[in-house]
Amino acid sequence: MQSFIGGSIRLGQRHGFYSWSGAHFKANRAYLATNNSSSLIHGSNNSINSSRNHLLQSLGTRLGSQTKELMLPGCSGGCSMPGLSQLAAMMSTCSSRSMTTAASPTPDSSQSVTDVPPRIKFKRLDKTAKHILQILDKEAVEEVKAQREIPDIKPGNIVQLRVEVPENKRRVSTIKGIVIARRNAGLNTTFRLRRMVAGVGVESLFPLYSPNIKEIKVLDKKTVRRAKLYYLRDKMNALR
Amino acid sequence: MAASFASKCSRVGRSLLGGLGNNLSGLQSASNEVVGNNVWSQQQRTFIQMRTVLKVVDNSGAKKVMCIQALKGKKGARLGDTIVASVKEAMPNGKVKKGKVVYGVVVRAAMQRGRCDGSEVKFDDNAVVLVDKQGQPIGTRVFGPVPHELRNKKHVKILTLAKHIA
Repeated sequence: MQSFIGGSIRLGQRHGFYSWSGAHFKANRAYLATNNSSSLIHGSNNSINSSRNHLLQSLGTRLGSQTKELMLPGCSGGCSMPGLSQLAAMMSTCSSRSMTTAASPTPDSSQSVTDVPPRIKFKRLDKTAKHILQILDKEAVEEVKAQREIPDIKPGNIVQLRVEVPENKRRVSTIKGIVIARRNAGLNTTFRLRRMVAGVGVESLFPLYSPNIKEIKVLDKKTVRRAKLYYLRDKMNALR
Repeated sequence: MAASFASKCSRVGRSLLGGLGNNLSGLQSASNEVVGNNVWSQQQRTFIQMRTVLKVVDNSGAKKVMCIQALKGKKGARLGDTIVASVKEAMPNGKVKKGKVVYGVVVRAAMQRGRCDGSEVKFDDNAVVLVDKQGQPIGTRVFGPVPHELRNKKHVKILTLAKHIA
C-alpha cells in the first residue's frame, strides 16, 4: 500500500505539479480513501496542518527527505486545500497521464530508488530555463577546472601567461602583466591584463577558461582597494 | 567618492535650484577632471575616421598624419586596415614631405579588436605605418609592437620589420 503510493508519488514528480483538475480528484478521493492506510484517514479528521505533517511524515520515512522538500513547495505555493486533497490531486495527475512504467508499481519503486538521481525542482516555473542554464554553466566550469589547474586571479596580481596564439601559427608566447579587471560570467569569465610592450601600453582581454591559455602563474600580488584598476591607464607603469 | 557625491548633488541641484546647480556643476566638472573613474568619463574608443591624427612609427620621415579616408568600413578603420592620410608633420629630410597624401596601415589602435579565440587586444595610442599603393612599406624600420592581425591582412613585410609582435 505504501509502496504503491511511493511509486505514484514518483510519477507525480516526473510530471510536476501541473493543473489540478477538480473533476478528477472527486472521483479519486473515494479511491484514495479506500486505499489509504488508517493513519491518513485519521489525518483527515484532525486539523489541516497536522494532517499535512502526518502525510509528510508517513511519506518522508519511506522515501527520504527529498520528497518532503518537494511536497513543501507544492503545499505552500498558493494552495489552501487540505493535505489530503493535495495527495488526491497528485494521484489524479499521475493517474490521468499514465506512463507504461507505472503498470507494475511495486517493482518500479524499488528500481527507481536506486536508478534515478535526485530530480532538481525549481520553485519558479517561469525562471526554470534560466536556472537550468545556470546549472549547465556551473557544470561546464567544473569540467574545465578539473582538467587543468586555474589559479584564482584577482585584480592587482601580476600574472604570467603562456598563451597559444592561433594567428601566430600555434606558437606559445609568454605574456606578463598586471590584472586590472576581472569579469565573472560563468564559463565566459574574462580578465584584462595590462603590460608594457616595447614602450607602448597594451591591454589584452582573455577568457579565463580558454583552452588557448596553457598556463597561468601568479608572480606577485599588489594590494589594491578596488576591483577595476582603470586608473593605471593614466599612470605610466614604469619598466614593465 | 567626491565625484559620485558631486554627481548626486548635481542631479538634485538641477531639479531643484538653478542657481545652486551652477555652482555644483562647476564643482562636478572640476572633480571629474581629477577623478576619471565613472562610466561617464571612461572613454569609449571608436574607429579611426576622417580627421583622426595618428602617429607614424616608421622611418619614412613623417611624424604625424591625419586620416582623410578609411578604405574599408563605413564607420572607420580598425586595427590592421588601410587608410588614406595626409602628412601633417614631417622630419626635415625624409622620404615624405608635409602635405603629401599617403596610404597607411593601422598598426596600433586604441579601439579593441577581437580575435578569433575570444581574446581582445587594445593599445594605448593610434599608430600607422606608411605604405605605397601596393602595400609595401615606404620606410625600412618599424618601431614599437605590431599585432598579429597584420598576418591575415597579408602585411607580412611590416611584421618582419617589427621588433615585437603583440
